[in-house]
Amino acid sequence: MGTKASSVTAAAPKGMNFTTRKRIGSAVTSVVMILVALVCAVPLWYILINTFKTIPDMSANPLGLPREWTVKNYVGAFETVPVFRSLLNTLIVTFFAVVIQVLVGALAAYGMILRKSTFTAAVGAILMVAFVVPSQTTLIPLYRMEANAHLVNTLAGLVIIYLGGAVFCYFLIVGYMRSLPFELIEAARIDGAGPLRIFWSIVMPLIRPILTTVVVFQTMGTWNDFMNANVFLSSSELRTIVLQVYNAVGQFSTDWPSFMTITVLALLPVFVFFIFCQKWIVSGLVAGSVKG
Amino acid sequence: MSATMQGSAVGDLPPLDESLYRRRRRARGLREDVTSFWFLLPILAVFVVLFLVPLVQTAYFSFTDFNGYSMDMNWVGLDNYRKVFTDPSTLQGLGFTILYAIVVMVGVTVLAIPLAVILNRKFVGRDFVRSVFFFFSVPSLAIMGMVWKYIFSPMKTGVVNSVLAAFGLGPVPWLSNNSLAKFCVIFIAIWAQIGWHATLYLAFLQAIPADLYEQATVDGANRWQQFAHITLPQLMPGIVTSTFLLMSGGLKVYDLPFTMTKGGPGYSTYTVTQSIIQQGIGQSQYGIGSALAVLFFIATGIVVFLQMGISNLISRRFE
Repeated sequence: MGTKASSVTAAAPKGMNFTTRKRIGSAVTSVVMILVALVCAVPLWYILINTFKTIPDMSANPLGLPREWTVKNYVGAFETVPVFRSLLNTLIVTFFAVVIQVLVGALAAYGMILRKSTFTAAVGAILMVAFVVPSQTTLIPLYRMEANAHLVNTLAGLVIIYLGGAVFCYFLIVGYMRSLPFELIEAARIDGAGPLRIFWSIVMPLIRPILTTVVVFQTMGTWNDFMNANVFLSSSELRTIVLQVYNAVGQFSTDWPSFMTITVLALLPVFVFFIFCQKWIVSGLVAGSVKG
Repeated sequence: MSATMQGSAVGDLPPLDESLYRRRRRARGLREDVTSFWFLLPILAVFVVLFLVPLVQTAYFSFTDFNGYSMDMNWVGLDNYRKVFTDPSTLQGLGFTILYAIVVMVGVTVLAIPLAVILNRKFVGRDFVRSVFFFFSVPSLAIMGMVWKYIFSPMKTGVVNSVLAAFGLGPVPWLSNNSLAKFCVIFIAIWAQIGWHATLYLAFLQAIPADLYEQATVDGANRWQQFAHITLPQLMPGIVTSTFLLMSGGLKVYDLPFTMTKGGPGYSTYTVTQSIIQQGIGQSQYGIGSALAVLFFIATGIVVFLQMGISNLISRRFE
């Protein structure tokens, strides 16, 4: 450890050439970290590799490569489980829930920075309370409310429940919005732009970094949500993909490879989404937290 | 850019007529109040429908014996609260929830910071390692719970047990033993969240100005001193964010224990949320479920504010 502490400015390394030592240090880090990452990733490997095995093959060697590769599990999964239907359900719910949440949150954030008054101060305090309310607290009355409105067991009903996330969006966005140069908005107003136009064509583009973060955050939360989907949806054709996986545990209790296959199909779209978004997520996180 | 200059130029003009100026400003203020109200209206609607009304209802039902169906309910005072505090399953749920929230918060923080520091160094394969750790946070905890159930299967075919068998060790009843089940749930929660929180810390580490370290190196500070006197204080906002997310998320935990163990064996991994759902919706004891929800709200509020206060104190000390 001590040797690694020296840096470029440290003079006259003892014994070994300095760059050589640094190189060895970095090589050790490489080997150790790649090993640690691989060990941590074993469960993901376990899910993936077993989808290509038969049941006896999986019990005989849970972690190794299949003795005989098979795609029967995938064929079977598509035949027995409405994978596409569930993915579509999840996509619909996530899309509408996230778009509306973020929009409501951004509108509120703009309304807050537009004007400082007793009214906005009161709204700020109210939203602070809402931020702390765990969704579990309101679950029972919300369930009753949706049951009365015949919204239980509909995708629209589930979307409405997720709109509570707008408060979270508001908090992330308002911090970022406060750091915007207010003169830009002032100037647009003098040029005769209406409030909605200013919001849409000036403010929204300016807060794009934080919007990306919030969208990714909420997409992750909504797509992966189990509690609300489990409580509010009951018919099989409306199941979101996470519910479908949960259901598959019972359906394929002894058929582990089939269960793993459903899991892979459920995780695949999210992984693809995140591969595309990885860069923005990290940069957005800094923007969001530092200024928020 | 020209618009900005024009704007400030107009703002600098001295008002010609004092009263006219003021009147105009008041009119504009009123107009802005109205505009601001319209922008805030959607979130106020969300607040009233999804927070205020349900909260008031929960508080009201917690004093009644409402069963969810018949409207002839009776006022029972604090009876439900008494039941909550004497019901052993609920108390166990509360105990596990608190244990889970604290251990996961500490565990993730202690492991994610060093991980982020290492991931911030240059080494071959760094991007690969970063991606692997990042991708852990992507799958839903509910799904991971189900998968880990197979991995920890008490049968010999469970992965952990088959690895142990290779070393000649007998099958361990991972999820059917009270303490082991608690350990497994917490272990997986930490495993699943380290990567995401390390990514968060990494973002903050990259924001630390490099000349701070250069200066420290010139002053002869070793790597540990640099970590303690530069990295850690500079990470304070990150630690505040991360621990806040972990704590508030931990208290609400439901997915992972539910899909892994259904709260069992017995009630050893039962959580407050599962208890609320079970009592309120599963068993139609709205009154008891509501009382529990009210207590949970108060407890979460206290913990969250305490935690915010403590984090603020600590971060001020470092400044």
